[in-house]
This record gives sequence, structure tokens and C-alpha cells, in this order.
Amino acid sequence: MDAASVIPTLNVTGLHKSYGPTVALGGVTFTILPGEVHALLGENGAGKSTLVKILSGVVTPDSGAAELVGSPYKPQSILDARAQGVATAFQELSLLPNLTVAENLGLPRLEKGPTRLISRRDNEDSAAATLARYGLQLHPRAPVSRLSLADRQRLEIVRAMSKEPKLLILDEPTAVLSSTDWLFAIIRAETARGTSVLYISHRLNEIRELCARGTVLRSGRSIATTDLCDTDDAAIFEMMVGSSLATFSRDRSNIDRATESRLKVTDLHAGTIKGASFEVPVGGIVGVAGLDGQGQGDLFHALFGLTAIESGTVQVDGKAVKVKSPSQALKAGIEVCLLPEERKTQGIFATLSVQKNVTLGALSKVTTFGVMRRARGLKLMGEVAREVDLADRYFNFQIGDLSGGNQQKALLARVLSTGARTLLLFDPTRGVDVGTKQAIYEAIQRYAAAGGAVLLYSSELSEIVQLCDQCLVVYDGRIVAQLEGEEIEERRIVAAATGHLDASKTRRAA
Amino acid sequence: MSTAIGTRSSSARGLLTNGLTTVVILYVVLYVVYSRMEAGALTASAFGDLVNNSIPLAIAAAGATFVILLGGFDLSVAGVLSLVNVVLATHPMDGAGGALMSVVIAISIGAAVGLCNGIFVAYGGLQSIAVTLAMMILTRGLALVVLDAPGGSVSDWISDTLTNSLWGVVPASGLVALAVAALWAIFRRTNTGVALYAVGKDQTAAALSGINVKRTKCIAFVLAGALYGLAGFMLSAQTASGDPNAGSTLLLLVFASVALGGTAFTGGQGGLYGSMIGAATLMLLQKVLFSSGVQSFYIGLFQGFVMVVAVIFVNVITYVARRNREHA
Repeated sequence: MDAASVIPTLNVTGLHKSYGPTVALGGVTFTILPGEVHALLGENGAGKSTLVKILSGVVTPDSGAAELVGSPYKPQSILDARAQGVATAFQELSLLPNLTVAENLGLPRLEKGPTRLISRRDNEDSAAATLARYGLQLHPRAPVSRLSLADRQRLEIVRAMSKEPKLLILDEPTAVLSSTDWLFAIIRAETARGTSVLYISHRLNEIRELCARGTVLRSGRSIATTDLCDTDDAAIFEMMVGSSLATFSRDRSNIDRATESRLKVTDLHAGTIKGASFEVPVGGIVGVAGLDGQGQGDLFHALFGLTAIESGTVQVDGKAVKVKSPSQALKAGIEVCLLPEERKTQGIFATLSVQKNVTLGALSKVTTFGVMRRARGLKLMGEVAREVDLADRYFNFQIGDLSGGNQQKALLARVLSTGARTLLLFDPTRGVDVGTKQAIYEAIQRYAAAGGAVLLYSSELSEIVQLCDQCLVVYDGRIVAQLEGEEIEERRIVAAATGHLDASKTRRAA
Repeated sequence: MSTAIGTRSSSARGLLTNGLTTVVILYVVLYVVYSRMEAGALTASAFGDLVNNSIPLAIAAAGATFVILLGGFDLSVAGVLSLVNVVLATHPMDGAGGALMSVVIAISIGAAVGLCNGIFVAYGGLQSIAVTLAMMILTRGLALVVLDAPGGSVSDWISDTLTNSLWGVVPASGLVALAVAALWAIFRRTNTGVALYAVGKDQTAAALSGINVKRTKCIAFVLAGALYGLAGFMLSAQTASGDPNAGSTLLLLVFASVALGGTAFTGGQGGLYGSMIGAATLMLLQKVLFSSGVQSFYIGLFQGFVMVVAVIFVNVITYVARRNREHA
């Protein structure tokens, strides 16, 4: 395909978008050719979702231009974008759970009968036809709330495709799909008809299977558009994270085995967790690895009192404790703190200042008879901010205005300010840039070295390999492997996490 | 993935867990109790009285349902009821033509107030409870300007015809309620009708699905206001006179009716029929308590008690149904 001779489906030049002090996009330029599946690569927070929102008409850019098949493209709304030929399957699923499959497919304008009123049968018939066309076995009348997450994801994709767009945007379409066969087959069928696809995914192997070219975003800028077959993984990673990727490793053997474990969990059943037993020693960092939705969320929630524990014991410093609510987890001498996985919804109070957000976790330390003491708050804030490398000019900003990385630092600061002796960290570096990751790693390490205990889940295996003394691999609600020391390497973790091999077999194979 | 059978059994479960069924059962049970207490309860005239009594509240609750389905809150209902009532009492218009004129005026007043609410909430981005509270105070004040003390008189044609029964059996006000119900059935089959549920459930997802969220919100407030206006008209027909505080006593009963009818205050779930029957149930309950000789100052106590029981009942059934589904 010669880029000069054909009119590109989409041509984007110099897109900029800022939210307050945060620059989301700082110059994005790339071209999508007809019939092409174009990959969009980049770390979390590189600006992919902002770009998707601009192209789908949800957000208007501050500056820059886009052309769709040769004519200027400035969508004012989702409907406008759709009318011009761009449809999007959103990552955060835009389906309405209280409506049926057919209604969701038809939105916002449903099929009308002769009375000019919505005809349920016509809608269900056309929905059935659409579903059949893309090989999706759903009942048109089923409410979306009854569908599994994977079926909702498929429905979201089918809904975007059924608009027969010139450009189809798929934002992390495989995040909850166990198999890509169905998706790839229909993508290939669509591109054969000349549709272009902008494909956003973290999974490089999928991208290599599907896409010929890809554009890499880093910190809101398009770094390069490359032919993927000529570029090896290492080169792509370097483009994604920049050459300044600092290496970080730690001495794993600084654990005092003689003393009682800080946190000891025996045969824990809670939610989807079926019989988990493990220990977190004083000064230790224990990693949890697993594919999405294997029970790691329930494990962390159970230890923090958010998911009811059905059976099993939790011991802190040798004493059995009952964790029924987060305040109990904090108060009853357990001193466990959870860094929540959903920063926006579970973690921050977006309209409060950074300082208020941080000191909220340790109100008793900054109040006298329940009254806030400004000076003490500022002192505590200063101390913990140093720990997590958070610049003090941010203290009085509304936390919602900060970048994801700084928000995460502030949240870690909050957790540290409580003086908890055990930390539960759930994917603490999700959506943060490399520099912040480094600061968070150092803070975690300092905390452990000072006698804290850490249970850390991360979706990035390299993080677990670098940081942890011990690694628990969860699969289908069970801990299928406990790796220690030099055994902690990505290959073994992946083998155990996919559930095909247990740890001993892996060892022999390796 | 659900099969046809799965959908059928789940729709049966849906019938059990939806508030409409519960409130209908409650109404029937109460009516049986009532018929045991009052000898004449099963006659057409007794039923007609009951319907007449319930209609203003039922239509007002129907209006409030629009806003609550949206996840909002509309207090302006009290002000609109009062304002319409005093306007009709101070400007009576005779004959069927006058009645038609009056109902148009009543609905226009309500729709105008609703439009103000809608513009401020949808396009101004203000909180619905704050805006509608202001509108309630404003319209109540306006009602006092029109008529500063109870008095005046609604035209005879309205107060006679609308409290009468057609052919001695069908209460005329009941037909108005049926008309409202029919309009709702039509509304449910419009794009805006579907959008109302979508916006109430999840504004972001609704917007991403291409729904005009602001317009949907605004329309819901206008339709709600128009129904308050109609409710005010029916209230005037019942009382036959004007009272600048006519709406205030109904305010909390409106929300009680909606809650009893199974509409979720979080938005996106429920419907208008439940609210209307919820209103009828509350009024029937009053009747039952009166006829059982309970002193009037205990009535509130009982009404509250019945509401709590009804809400707990719906929750228990929903919980049981969900558990069955999970263990199935």
C-alpha cells in the first residue's frame, strides 16, 4: 500500500488537548489508510483515551486538525461523528444495563412501526439480524444487566460495527474476552470491505497478529508510526516508555524469618477466593499475580473488610482478627491499608485539596478533640509527601486537577500517613508514568525496609519480578503457585497464571 | 447467553420483583379489608368516591415519576397544585368550553414551571432539588398573590361533571387517569421514552450511546409539570374552591406514592403505573383507617408503617429472587 497514492481514511495533524494544568495530548499526528487495522500503542496515561474521545466526538480538541477521507472532520457530538462515519466501541462500555439488547443496539433512535411509535418486534427483528450477522448468540429481549461482562463487550463492539462506519475505533476490545477468535474474524471481514480500524490494546501479540502498522503515543505525543513487522518488541517498548527506562532491583533477602509473620492468612474463603493460605513477613513484599478477574480483587477486599469472609482465619502478628469493615481493619490494631484499584471512583475526593485528601486517612493525628489543626496537618503532609516524592506546590490543588501519576502519589501518601504497618496495594502503578513508578517503587521499598509488610498486586509482571520477595499466583480463585527468590520470573508466573501448568511442572520445563 | 426459556422464566421473576405487582397486591388486600369493614364498599358509588379522592394525588405522582426516573427530585409539584387551584377558583369559566379552556390553562401553568425547572437543571447544570425548591417557594408565593386566603369557587360544570359517574358506573375522573396511563404507554414507545430510562440509569453511557441527555432531562421536567397542572385541575374539581396551600399537604404523599409504586429514587427503574396505584393505595389506606375508627392523628403513623412494610417486602422478594438466580 502506498500512502501517497490513496486518500487516507483518517489523517490527524497536531492534535492538542489540555485539562487545566494537565496536558492530555501535546501533538498527535498520524494517518490511517483504507482497509487497515491501525494499532495505537502507549502506556496507560499516554493519551490514548483522550484521542479516542476526540475522534468519537465526545471531546473537542484545543487545536489541531483531522481529515476523514479527504474532508475536514470536526465532530461536535457522538451522533455527528457517527453520521460522518466514525463509530467507537468504548472501553468503559456505553451500554445501558436497564435496557434490553435490542434497545441498546437501536439507541438513540429505535425502529418505528406504522403508528410512528417504537415497534418492539421490528427492533427485536433487526437486532436479531445484526446479532446473527456478527455471530453473536444473544437474545434481543434479554436485559443487558443479565449479560456476562464478555457478552457486554461483544455487544458494545457489534453495536459500533452495525453503524457501518468508515472508521471503527476499538478501545481495549479484548480486555474481558477470553478468546480473540470471534473478534479477529469479524474485524477481518470488516476490513475486507474497506473499513479502517483503529485498534487500541496493551497486548502486543494481538496487535502483531492483526495490525501491519501502529502509532506509538508517549506522554500525549505521537512518537512514531512504524511498520510492525520491521520493529521488534524491545524497540516498541522503548518508543512507549522512552529511553530513560531506569532499571530497578532490590536485595530480596532482607527478611527476618525468625519473627512472627505480620499477616498470616489460612484457608481463606471469600467471594471468588477458594482457600487461600499465605504469609506476609515483617519487612517483606509479597506479590500477587494473575490474569484479570481471577479473584485477586476479592482477596484484597476481603482483607480490607469489603468482601465478607466466609471461612478461614486472618492473623496479624500472631493474633487472630476479624475484619468486617474497613474501619475495623484500620482500628482493631490490624493497621491494614488498601490502595484502591479504581482511583477515580474509590480513591480520591476529586474536589478536595491534595492535602485534605492525604490527611483524611489520619484524621486522629491532625485533630485535637475533633478539630483540625492546620499546622499539624501541614507537617504530616510534608513528611509523607517527601516519602512519595510529591512536590509541595501541589498541596493546595484540587486533587482532581492532578495527573494520574500525582494522584496516585497522593493516595500512597494518604495510606502511609495512617501509620499502618501492613499495606495492601492493588495495582499501585496503574496508569502512571515511568518517573512516578520509580518514586512509588522506592516508597514501597523504604516502607518495607522500615519494618512494614506489603501485599502487592500488579498487572505488570515486571513490577512483581523487580519488587517482590515472594510471588503468589492466583488462578480461578486459588493460589496455584508460590514462587520465591530467583524463581520469580515472568515465564514461570505466566505459565502458572494461565492455569495450564502448576509450579513444579514449570520448574521442570524451565 | 440467554435462551428463550431463560428469558421467559426471568420475566416471571421480573414480575415478582417489580414494584408494580407488589403495590397491586397491596391494593387488592386493602380493598378486601375495606369491604369487610364498610358494608357499601363494593358499590359503584363507593368505588367512584375512592377514585375521585385518589385522582389528584395519582396524577401528581405520575408527573413526579418522570423526574424520579431521571434520578432527580421535583418539589415544585406543591406550588403548581396550589397555583392552578387558586387560578381556577378565582377565574371560573362556565360550561364545557370553559372547562376545556381551564384545563389548557392548568396544564400550561404546570408545563411552564416544568420548563423553567428543566432549563435550569438540564442546561444550567444546577441541582434539581435546589431549583425545584426555589420554584415551589416561588409558585406558592404567586398563589398567595392570586388568592391570599381560602375562598373563591371553581366553575360548577367542572366540579359537578368531574366528580360524577358516567352512566352511573364509571367515575369521570377515572377516565382522566386512564387517559394519563394511555399517554404514558405511548410515551414509552418513543425515543425520548427509552432515553428517559437510559439517562436515569447512567448519564455517561447514555451520552456515549448518542442520546441527547440535556434535551431528555428538559422534556421530563416539562411533562412532569404538565401532569402537575392536570393534577391541580382535578384537585380543584374535588374541592370546588380555592386554597393557596392546597398543594402542600400532598407534597410528601406524592413521593410516598412513587416510592410505594416501586420506582427507584436512584433513577432508571420503575414506572408511572406503580406510582398511580401507589397513590390510590395510600388514599385507600386512609379510608380503611377512618372506617376502622382509628383517630385521625394516628393515620400518619399507620401510613408510615405500611410504607415501611411495603418497601421491606419488595426488598426481601428482590433479595430472594437474586439468590435463586445465583444458585440456579
